[in-house]
This record gives sequence, C-alpha cells and structure tokens, in this order.
Amino acid sequence: MTTLHSKEKLTLASELIYEIKVKDAMKRDVIFFSQDATFREIQLSLKKNRISGVPILDNNKDIIGIVSIDNVITSLDNGYVGDKVKHYMTREVVTIPQNYSLVSAIKKFEHYKFGRLPVTKNIRSNQIIGILTMGDILNYLLVSIQAIAEKAEKQESDNDDLSTKMARQTTKKRIRLEVNKADFDNAGRVASIVRNYLQKLKIEKQVLRKIAIICYEAEMNISIHSLGGYITVETKPSEVVITAVDYGPGIPDIEEAMKPGFSTASEQIRALGFGAGMGLPNIKRCADHLDLESSMETGTILKATIRLGG
Amino acid sequence: MKIKEIVNILDAEVLTGELYLDYDIEEFAASDMLSDVLALTKDNFLLLTGLTSQQVVRTVEIAGGIGVVFVRGKTPEPEAIGLARSHHIPLLMTSLLAFEACRAIVEAINKKETK
Repeated sequence: MTTLHSKEKLTLASELIYEIKVKDAMKRDVIFFSQDATFREIQLSLKKNRISGVPILDNNKDIIGIVSIDNVITSLDNGYVGDKVKHYMTREVVTIPQNYSLVSAIKKFEHYKFGRLPVTKNIRSNQIIGILTMGDILNYLLVSIQAIAEKAEKQESDNDDLSTKMARQTTKKRIRLEVNKADFDNAGRVASIVRNYLQKLKIEKQVLRKIAIICYEAEMNISIHSLGGYITVETKPSEVVITAVDYGPGIPDIEEAMKPGFSTASEQIRALGFGAGMGLPNIKRCADHLDLESSMETGTILKATIRLGG
Repeated sequence: MKIKEIVNILDAEVLTGELYLDYDIEEFAASDMLSDVLALTKDNFLLLTGLTSQQVVRTVEIAGGIGVVFVRGKTPEPEAIGLARSHHIPLLMTSLLAFEACRAIVEAINKKETK
C-alpha cells in the first residue's frame, strides 16, 4: 500500500518524477529527416507539425544530428535554406536513454537549455525510439495526478455500491465492517459506507450525522490505537446500535480516556489532524447511550445507542 | 451566504465542484484539528483548514459539511480531490492565511448585515 502522509505528500510531484521513466512520458511517433533533406523541407515540416526541431537519423535510425528552428532561421539569414542539412546541422546531440527517470531528463533540459531530447534505446545505443519535451513531462505528470484522484473516486463509488447492496438486504438488520490497524489512507471508509447505507434506509439527517460521527471516531480509534477490529451496525425500529470491537491492547484507564483533550496519539497522527483527545467525548456527546468495556487481555468493546424518531 | 460569494471574498481558486457553489453556508469553521470539526453542532458548514490530507474531505463528508477552503495556497492530495468529486463537495484554495481569510469573511458578513 502506498502511503502519502503529511511531509511526503507535499512532494508528490517530485516523487512522481523519480518514479516515472522517460519511456512513459515520451512521444513515440518521431518526425525525423535524413541528412540529405533541405532546410526548406524541414522548415515546412516544423510549421505543419507545430514542433520546434527534428532529429537527423541515418538508415539504422541512429542519430547523427539535430536541426532546430534556430538552425532554420540561420539558414534563411545566410541564404542556404535550399541546401542539404548535412553540412550545417548540430552534431553534438544530447540524448537520453529510455529507462532514465524524468529527474535526469529535467536536469538535462536545465543544463543544456534544449527544447527536446531524442530518446535512445539504451545508454550504449544511438538508435532513436522517441522524443521528449518539457511539455511531454508536464502532460504526463498532470495525467498521473489525475489518475490518483480518479482512483480515489472509483473507490468511493465502489463503497457506495456496497452500501446500496446492504440497504437492499432488508432481512439483514446487522451489518459488520472490518477496520484495519494503521490503515490511515482508508480511515473513514467504514463511516462513509455506514452513512450511505443509513441514508438509503431514510434515517433522518441530524440522526444520520450523529451516527456517522460515532462510526468515524470509533473507526479512527481502532485504526490508531488497536491491533485492528470491526464495527457492526444494528438497525431496529426505534434505535440504531453501533458496536466497535477491537482485538486489544485495551484502554488502561477509561475514566482518563473519556476526558476531553486526553490523547496518547503519536505526532504522525496529529499531523493528520487527529489525536486531539476528542474522540471518545465526541462519541459520548452524539450517542443517547454509551457502554465502554475494556480489558487489557481481550481488547475494547464500545457500544453506542442512538434513538430514532426524536 | 453562498459558496460562490466566498470565491470572490477570498479570491479563491475552485479546485473542484464548480457545479455546487450555490449551496447556502449555515456555519463557518476554521481548524486544523479534524476532531474539532466533528464536534461542530450544525450541518452545512464550510471548513477553512491548513490540512491537505484526504481525511479533511472525509471528515467534512461525515459531519455533513458542504465545502472546504484550503488556506495559504496549499493544495490537497489528489485523493482528496477524487473524494470531493464523489461526494459533490466543492474544494477552494486561497493564498490568504487562515486568520486573514476568516477576517475577510467576517467583514463581508458584517457589510451584508448593515445593508
């Protein structure tokens, strides 16, 4: 599981440029010319394809030079635009192997100030298999970030499907959802499913909110403090009962844990915005009745009852 | 006050949820503690926060909020944007600090009331 927490998530783009390879971001359909092409031919091609330079390849597709828009302008200035490029093209070509990361590519762009990098098969080869611009890198980064957002969106829609399915099983009045230890990326998933599920059962909005908050706080508690556990939701005509069970290690002093502001959460948890010591007090405030049992041997059982209909 | 008024007041960029800016805000909250957000007593609130994790959006969803403003020009995790899209929660980003953003909103509310 990939985790992006506090400090690291600020550097998502830099993480991605290390992960993504040149071959992922490059364009594969390379427009190229032989050294017998004229500057005029290349000028027309640059215009037509809206690009600013082309590699010059030999018969094996090995790179022997590059002609950029600057070279074309110089040829116009000096009156040799109708000549073959072979005597004038730039021969000191900087290339990049396809398996390098985008970081190396960006460094090369910064160092040489070129608009494009021809991509070779590997470090020993001069054969060109693609071409890379800063625009390609930017594009690919945006697409990658978009993909992460879409994945999260898809997961939410799966959760919603699950809650719909549960709401349809009218005979089953008790549902059970697992909560994993330290799975902060998914923290709140159970509460979200429960909220959707009860919404589909037409539970009143204010009550729904209380139940969702109880579930969320209980889920965070299991995730942060325990070895894992589960949450069950029991729907009766007059009340909803939320039971959160974990497999230990138990709460040493329940009275102290119930005090607003008391927390044993780590710095990492606090950086996520949790660990204010408001979890159990919040649950107590939202529930009409709360039972909390904890044993240092078997773990903790929290049972919150919320009355329906006023 | 509607979320789209906040966009102007805070000179904010709408990161997602352009379609849901007509919601009426019933309460404002500014916090970097999500448990504080869960302790709010009203639905339909707008949260101003310096946190950027996906749990911010999750918390707002659970607690019945209708939007989030990320202050100090901080951008949320991409997952937060995905979550917000699923739950139709608009996400705004302003370069103002939390305090400045709150002050701008209060001033706008006072101006509205004296009219």
